Amino acid sequence: MVEDSELQVHPIPEPQIPNPVSFLNGMQRWSVVAYDGVAQIVSAYVAAAVCRRDKRGVLHATFERSRAFAIAPLDRLSPTLRPVLEQAVPDIEPVDGELVGQPARYLEQVESTVRRARAHLERELAEAATAALGADEWLVLDGLLSRSPAVARHPRALGVIKSHGAQFLDGRGLERALTLPAGHRTSVFAVRGGHTRTEVYSWYLRLWPWEGNNLQYGLLRVEARADRETIARAPALSSWLFAERAPLATPATRWDRLLYPLHHVEEYLKARAPRSPAARSRLPVA
Amino acid sequence: MIDKAIPVPIGRVVATELKPATPHQFHFWTPTDTTIGIGAIVKVGGSGTGEEGRVVYGVVTEGFAYSDLATPLHDVVGAEGDPTRAVEAPTARQQIRYWTAAVLRQTPEEPLQPVPLGQVYVADDADVAQALRMDSYLYSATPTAIPVGLYTSAGRDAPVYLDADFLLGPEAAHLNISGMSGLATKTSAVEFLLASIFAHFPAHKGRVAAVCFNVKGPDLCFLDQPADLSDEDRRRYERLGVPSTPFERVQLYAPLKADGVNLNTLRTHPDLVDDVEPLTWGLQEVVDYAEVLLNRDDIDAKADAFIDFLRDRVLGRTFDDGFGTTHRVQTFADLDRLFRSIFDGLEVISGGRSDTWRTHHIATMRKVRNRLLNISTRCKGLVTDDGPSSDLPWQDFKDRTVYVIDIANVDPLGQDLVFARVVSKLREQLERRELGVDAVVVFVDELNKYAPGDGPDTYVKKMLLDISERGRYLGLVLFGAEQFRSQVHRRVVGNAGTQVFGRMDMDELATPGYQVLTPATKNKLATLPIGELMVRHPHFTQPIFIRFPKPPVLRGRDGVERFPPAADVPFEDAVVRQLVRLDRRVRPNQVKDLIADREPDDVRRALAAVRRIRPDDVLAYFRKVLGARVTPEGALPREHHTVPPLNPISDEPY
Repeated sequence: MVEDSELQVHPIPEPQIPNPVSFLNGMQRWSVVAYDGVAQIVSAYVAAAVCRRDKRGVLHATFERSRAFAIAPLDRLSPTLRPVLEQAVPDIEPVDGELVGQPARYLEQVESTVRRARAHLERELAEAATAALGADEWLVLDGLLSRSPAVARHPRALGVIKSHGAQFLDGRGLERALTLPAGHRTSVFAVRGGHTRTEVYSWYLRLWPWEGNNLQYGLLRVEARADRETIARAPALSSWLFAERAPLATPATRWDRLLYPLHHVEEYLKARAPRSPAARSRLPVA
Repeated sequence: MIDKAIPVPIGRVVATELKPATPHQFHFWTPTDTTIGIGAIVKVGGSGTGEEGRVVYGVVTEGFAYSDLATPLHDVVGAEGDPTRAVEAPTARQQIRYWTAAVLRQTPEEPLQPVPLGQVYVADDADVAQALRMDSYLYSATPTAIPVGLYTSAGRDAPVYLDADFLLGPEAAHLNISGMSGLATKTSAVEFLLASIFAHFPAHKGRVAAVCFNVKGPDLCFLDQPADLSDEDRRRYERLGVPSTPFERVQLYAPLKADGVNLNTLRTHPDLVDDVEPLTWGLQEVVDYAEVLLNRDDIDAKADAFIDFLRDRVLGRTFDDGFGTTHRVQTFADLDRLFRSIFDGLEVISGGRSDTWRTHHIATMRKVRNRLLNISTRCKGLVTDDGPSSDLPWQDFKDRTVYVIDIANVDPLGQDLVFARVVSKLREQLERRELGVDAVVVFVDELNKYAPGDGPDTYVKKMLLDISERGRYLGLVLFGAEQFRSQVHRRVVGNAGTQVFGRMDMDELATPGYQVLTPATKNKLATLPIGELMVRHPHFTQPIFIRFPKPPVLRGRDGVERFPPAADVPFEDAVVRQLVRLDRRVRPNQVKDLIADREPDDVRRALAAVRRIRPDDVLAYFRKVLGARVTPEGALPREHHTVPPLNPISDEPY
């Protein structure tokens, strides 16, 4: 706990929205497009973008990266098909062929591979975006801030986490966090260990009342650099993110936790993504 | 002016399965801060779509804006039910400006295919000419383009031209303009268009003139006086190549008032009244249009036959009435004498035993007599009991001249008579090629009154139909205006090759005639500012919105303020004024001495004769026509017999 001796609940002040602000989000898409026996060949597409919000509140894309690639157990492909695939698709992410015989686990591996590729892309883009941030400009990322040390240490970068698979609190603190009223935040605590490579400060923020829904409804976890300044800024940053509730990020299913600008970046990426992955047309028909 | 720089796309064509692009319609999006709007002409290039070389021109007919908001309720939730908080949202929702455009033209025109999904550009001058198919008559060896206004959009303007062959014949002809009273600028539009026609009517098509009926106040009384034009108006005139000066040649005709000497017009200011010609007709001019004077119920075969008899056998001929009196009927007074003689003959000589004369029943004759003689009472000043007429120069119409006939203050029956006779004479003279010009534009306002879609078939309506359907072959072109197009006879409106719309009433726009227009176009029509019109022309496949400059002539109500009408002058002074106008050497005292103690009818007759002959020595001729003064003692009483009462022969009230 870096603020208060134990986790407390704090109301948030009137919002002060910084300007400009950039938002980073990514998307992924994959599908099985061919088989070699029972070996599934996957076409994947990952992309990430940064959109900067201007004075009128309109978002404009400033950074964008994408990667279209295939995922295949190269060591399990037949000698005739492998060269065909390698010739047709220049970017192939090889996976272990041991799970080929277990299709469900194999696809979990594929999912993990795609997610990792997306995270890598987002991390690269976040580093490029933070390096280019203006003097007063903030960057808000969808997801963990701590993936990149450079980003995690940036004074004006925030990570917004919507899913709460990892718990950093227990006991009374956890209860206070999960029953946080709308428009309130918790005390700031330090996050380290686990998949987090770099220590960051974090706190919970409730955007919408959870009563009548589940405990995670409208609940965000915010990550910022591990610095005393973050503790001082936490009230203002919370009120800013609370103000980002509007406009609603509908029709996204997790609109209660998804900030509209991040939703916009995702929609932007989806609109620009190829309808069918580029690799598909060059692969043998499934 | 059109920017010649490299064009920058302002939008992009999009097509979905639900809203595909077709050969006649397409959809495109633009940034939210676009300058285009409903009525804008755009160009779609096929470049980059695999259809290089293809160009499609379209006009925007509908616009949509929407955001990614799934339901309005989400906006309420986001603002927590407080509209003031809705604007505090830090991010603007993604939104779209989505437009529908109707295809104006495709190049090449064959094969006709759906619009390519290419980039959209604002049309420039050359594009507008192409899009509206004006190139065929604008850039031909014998151009026939008549500027009608400026197409304006996105800060640009481009002249729009009508094809004289389709505006003034022979391919198509006639123009109809409709719109709300006072806001649609119908009269102004016609005034500007006439100025444009006079400036651009091609030489190879001959000579052109216009006849305008002034039926409302002083609307058309000051066409020769300059208007106060703004710099913007002058720029538009320059852009359109039309001189911003009033009509050089205007001839205004107005009937006299009941006193027979003062003009029945609002253009009686001393500085201007000299340019007004009196319009007076006698029996000869009226009787050919007797049908106009009789309402539909009156016209039966018997009355018609009797009128024909008078026209063919009596008027202008030496005629024996069968009771021992010889007549030469040339005036209403002569006709009255003939009728009295016939009625006397039937009553006195035949002893009341006969009620027919030359196979015509006395009741029929009385009916016709009453109607014909009544016109000289109801339209006194226009129709003279006796004496010569003062008429338009039917064989000497001048090129690029506007003939204004002011009948605003004339009895409606007289208006019909004037209208019927003038148009009929124009047609006769054009058929004979004896009018002096090759084409005449006849401007008639208030078509709702003269050619209504329902109601009886009046002579005027039939005549308007005739012009609409056959006038283009003769060069007789109808420019009609009305408030409610839906209530004008369909054939009059339908035969107008060019249709112009000013601001329209929503009720009118809800009628079936406007179903082809999109809701956005209707809405624009309902809110059109003054000076903006929507034009349909045979070359344009879609209606086009244009602006035209303020007319170069003084508006009627401004004219009346600048040149207030003079009060009626006494009889003697009016006579003096008319004679002095014809001859500056005439001394007022000489005239007053001459007409002192003379019968006003004699003076009027002499004055009319002078007007008609226009002698070199006006006073001498006036004196001669007036004749020598006869002393009252020796004067014979004017022939004025009282018709003895007839035995009642029927309940006929005539």
